[in-house]
Amino acid sequence: MRHLVLIKMLTAAIALFLSANCGNTVMTTPEVHAIAADRITLDPDDSVWENAPTHIAKLILQDLVEPRQMEPTTAEVRVKAITKDGQIAFRMEWSDDTLNDAPGPRKPVDAAAVQLPAVIQANAPAPQMGEQGMTVEIAYWRADWQASVNGRPDGIRALHPNASVDHHPYEAKPLENNEEARRRAELRYAPAKALGNVRSGPREVAFEDLIAEGPGTLTPAPARHTSGIGKWSDTGWAVVFVRPIPNGFSATRPTQVAFAVWEGTHGEAGSRKMRTGWINLLAK
Amino acid sequence: MARVNNWQLGREMSYWYPEARPQKQFAAVFDTNKCIACQTCTLACKTTWTSGKGQEYMLWNNVETKPYGFYPLAWDLNLLDMLGGQSWDESGERPVYTGSTIFESAPAGERVLGWRPAEEDYAYANVGEDDCAGQVDGGTSLENSHDMAWFYYMARICNHCTYPACLASCPRGSIYKRPEDGIVLVDQGRCRGYQECVRGCPYKKVFYNAMTGTSEKCIACFPKMELGIQPQCFVNCIGKIRMAGYLSTPENAREDNPLDYLIHIKKVALPLFPQFGLEPNVYYIPPVHVPTSFTGQMFGPGVAKAIETYRSAATDADLAGLLGLFGSSERVMTRWRRIGETITGLDDDGNVLVSVPLREPVHIRQAFDPVQQVTRMNCT
Repeated sequence: MRHLVLIKMLTAAIALFLSANCGNTVMTTPEVHAIAADRITLDPDDSVWENAPTHIAKLILQDLVEPRQMEPTTAEVRVKAITKDGQIAFRMEWSDDTLNDAPGPRKPVDAAAVQLPAVIQANAPAPQMGEQGMTVEIAYWRADWQASVNGRPDGIRALHPNASVDHHPYEAKPLENNEEARRRAELRYAPAKALGNVRSGPREVAFEDLIAEGPGTLTPAPARHTSGIGKWSDTGWAVVFVRPIPNGFSATRPTQVAFAVWEGTHGEAGSRKMRTGWINLLAK
Repeated sequence: MARVNNWQLGREMSYWYPEARPQKQFAAVFDTNKCIACQTCTLACKTTWTSGKGQEYMLWNNVETKPYGFYPLAWDLNLLDMLGGQSWDESGERPVYTGSTIFESAPAGERVLGWRPAEEDYAYANVGEDDCAGQVDGGTSLENSHDMAWFYYMARICNHCTYPACLASCPRGSIYKRPEDGIVLVDQGRCRGYQECVRGCPYKKVFYNAMTGTSEKCIACFPKMELGIQPQCFVNCIGKIRMAGYLSTPENAREDNPLDYLIHIKKVALPLFPQFGLEPNVYYIPPVHVPTSFTGQMFGPGVAKAIETYRSAATDADLAGLLGLFGSSERVMTRWRRIGETITGLDDDGNVLVSVPLREPVHIRQAFDPVQQVTRMNCT
């Protein structure tokens, strides 16, 4: 019995040594280092990320505009970045023990964003959404869009299998063989979609490209250019954002980057979010 | 916050934006005493506007049975509880609200005092609200489930408020109030679905659509109103409880404007929860059979007087005549007049839209039909 206890203690000591040793191998940097990689990946589980150093970005409250984030929630986000052939990829990873990817009333979804100045300059725009005349570019990802891209059908029964649906006029028999008429009928009851609001489903990508010149000015960017994948596990989210390298960004010309996380369980959406200030982004 | 005048409160109050009243204000009067909760209004709206994906549980117009009917669940009780004491000083010529509005009670970091209903709060509209609460065995008598020998039906749409909380709540200005008619709309191209308006609206008349990712609400059928035609829920009302039009401020009230007459001059129609501070523009003739201790909280301090006035309609030809215009035309009657026994609804240019008699003629049909040699029952 005594031997068994000794063996257990020894095993525990070895495990502790190994885990501490492995922890030391995670290279952290005070800035975000975008390292030149041999390939760009959309996948947060790709081995290419193993060579990139981690920046641990502490998240702080959005405290500039009402409604404000009054209670701290997500504490930090672990960031890696790689570049290749004019593209830059950011990998954000944060702890989240609840999956919120089904939207609904009082059910905001998990989300994240990467923000960059539109123009690299000595004086960066205001870190919270930029300022007038100093635009920021924002790549935004949402868990419900990811679920849609991953194959979840676009309809209330995908969210609530027992939901009662009386009748959708565009599913009427006379429109069955007329796709154009059916599409027009559907748009009559979906004004946001009819107006081209990119929030409307179904989604082909889980990302949205936006620009802003201050709080409340968020607008779709002229072109869509961000792609990637978000994956949830028991420990939280890992999301890869791939977008063009900021114009002029190089080893001798750094820029800044900022991050934001919305935790659905805590009702975070819009200005209710945890965010960082500007963090230096260096090309390595 | 700016200081604005809210005449329903009898005082100034704080609001997120400065006072900017529209050129004219869409408004309505609902006579609760005539509503039978047939839900024709609900279906008229539903089939016209909310039959799309994500709108399955969305009712821009609903009718609920008070005191225990809600859509969404406890929409009024929750906020009344959060708001705390709501008292009025009735010692002066006009009552003055001495409590706090939802704007004045906004917690730190918030734009208004609000809350968000859960998904299931929308899931059971009307289910059970007219039913008894327990099993009634054969041979036993039914006891009223809430020990109150009264209930009434509340038809509700967006109030197109003068000081909309949905508009104040939106951090990106996606909601606007039309300067030409005061109708409040969500810009579906700009909305990003944060649900702040859902949280902020005390009447819970903005709804999140999970399929479009935006919030949607009653639009007062503005394409119809622009043509001088009343909204769908008005023209389809078989109880003829509703009248839509435009309301002046009290100091500009005109006797020949139907809504001004009912709201400002006769004061027979009252706002819904004026103490919230939004200056809502759908006005209710309160139910005559309900204790004013209940309706006083819901419609403000003028309830007892409004009921007294309403009961006097039998001897008030103007009031009775104007109430007879309800549901008599699909057109928006911005003016009215009574000449003798005839009441007429007119448009802004003085064109006659409809005329109704003060008293409908009574035809008495004898039970026995001598032509067919049969005795008829009332239903044959």
